[in-house]
Amino acid sequence: MQSKLSDIELIEQTLAGNQSAYADLVKRHQRFVFTLAMRFAKRREDAEEIAQDCFIKAYRSLSSFQKQSKFSTWLYSIVYTTAMTSLRKKRVDTDSIDDEDIYIQVESQTSGYDVNDVENKSRSFYLNQAIEQLLPDDATIITLFYKGEQSLEEIGRALGMEANTVKVKLFRARQRLKEKLERNLKHETKELI
Amino acid sequence: MTHIEEKLWDYIDGNCAAEEQKNITALIASDAAWQAKYQELLNLNKEFSAMELEEPSMAFTYNVMETIRDEAAKVPLKSVINKRIIWGIGIFFAFTILALLVYIITNTKFSGTDTSFSLPQGLKMPDLKNYFTKPVIECFFFFDVILALFLSDAFFRKKRLLRQQ
Repeated sequence: MQSKLSDIELIEQTLAGNQSAYADLVKRHQRFVFTLAMRFAKRREDAEEIAQDCFIKAYRSLSSFQKQSKFSTWLYSIVYTTAMTSLRKKRVDTDSIDDEDIYIQVESQTSGYDVNDVENKSRSFYLNQAIEQLLPDDATIITLFYKGEQSLEEIGRALGMEANTVKVKLFRARQRLKEKLERNLKHETKELI
Repeated sequence: MTHIEEKLWDYIDGNCAAEEQKNITALIASDAAWQAKYQELLNLNKEFSAMELEEPSMAFTYNVMETIRDEAAKVPLKSVINKRIIWGIGIFFAFTILALLVYIITNTKFSGTDTSFSLPQGLKMPDLKNYFTKPVIECFFFFDVILALFLSDAFFRKKRLLRQQ
C-alpha cells in the first residue's frame, strides 16, 4: 500500500534518515518515470536501467531539491537528462537520433505485444505503437502533458525550454502522433481486408 | 487548416484568452468546418488522455532501494561522522602535544656544555624490553602479512572492477 503523505512530506522524512519514505516515493513515481525512459530507450531492460539510475541520482541530490517546484517536475528533468545521455552513449550506428525512420523500424522489433493477439489490437495498442514511432522529444512532451499532470511551464522547466517552445512542440507532436495513428490504423485495415 | 487546429488545441487546453475563447465558441457553434475539426480534435484529446503507462518489473523498487543501501554502506566513515567531532579530536591532540612541548621546554635546564631534563617525581619510563618479546614480534609480523594480503586483494579487485566498467 502506498503512503498517503505528500511528496514533500516523504522527502522530508527521507532527508531525516527514513529510507522507507523514499521507497514510497519510488513506488509512486516509478510507472511514469519508466514510461518516460521507454520513450527514449525502447528496450525494457535499458529503460529500467535508466529509470533506476534516475531514482538513485534523485536520492543523491535530494537535499538540493528547492521545493519551489513540484517534485515530479524536478524528477522528470533528471529523467530527461539521464535518458538523453544514455541515448547518446548507446548510439552505436551512424544514423542520427533525429532520424524518425529509425523509430519506425525499431518499433516493429521491440514491441512487446503479440501482433496476432486480437485482444491487444485495441485503440490503446495503436496509440502506444504510434507513440513508439515518434521522436523521443515528441513522445516525452506528449507523455508529460497527458500523463504527467504537468503544465506547459512545468514541462518547459523539466526539459529546459521556454513554455512557448513547449507549446509549439506539443502542437507538432500531436499532429505527428495523429498522422502515425491514422497511418497505422489504415495499414491494419488494409491487412484485414 | 493548421491555423484552425492550432487555435482549437489552445481552446481545448484552456490556453486562450477570455475574448478569444468566446470567438472560438461562436465559430464552433456557427461554422460546420470548425465544428467538425473541433469534434475530431476533442476525440483525439480523449484518446491521448487514455494513454496507458508502462509497468516496470516487480523488483523495481527493491532494486533501487538495494542500490541506495549499498551506496550508503560504502560511504567513507569520514563523510558520515560530523566534522566538528573530527576537528574536536584534532584540536585535543594538538593541544596535548603543545602542552607537553611547553612542559618539556620549561623543565629543561639549558647550559653551555650540558642540557638535562628530569621527569616529574614519581613518573617512571616503562621498560620496553619486557614488552618486545619474541612471540609479540612474531604476532606483529604475522598481522602485518595478513593486513598486506587483505589490502592488496582489495586493491586488485577495485582495479579489475574499474577495468570492466
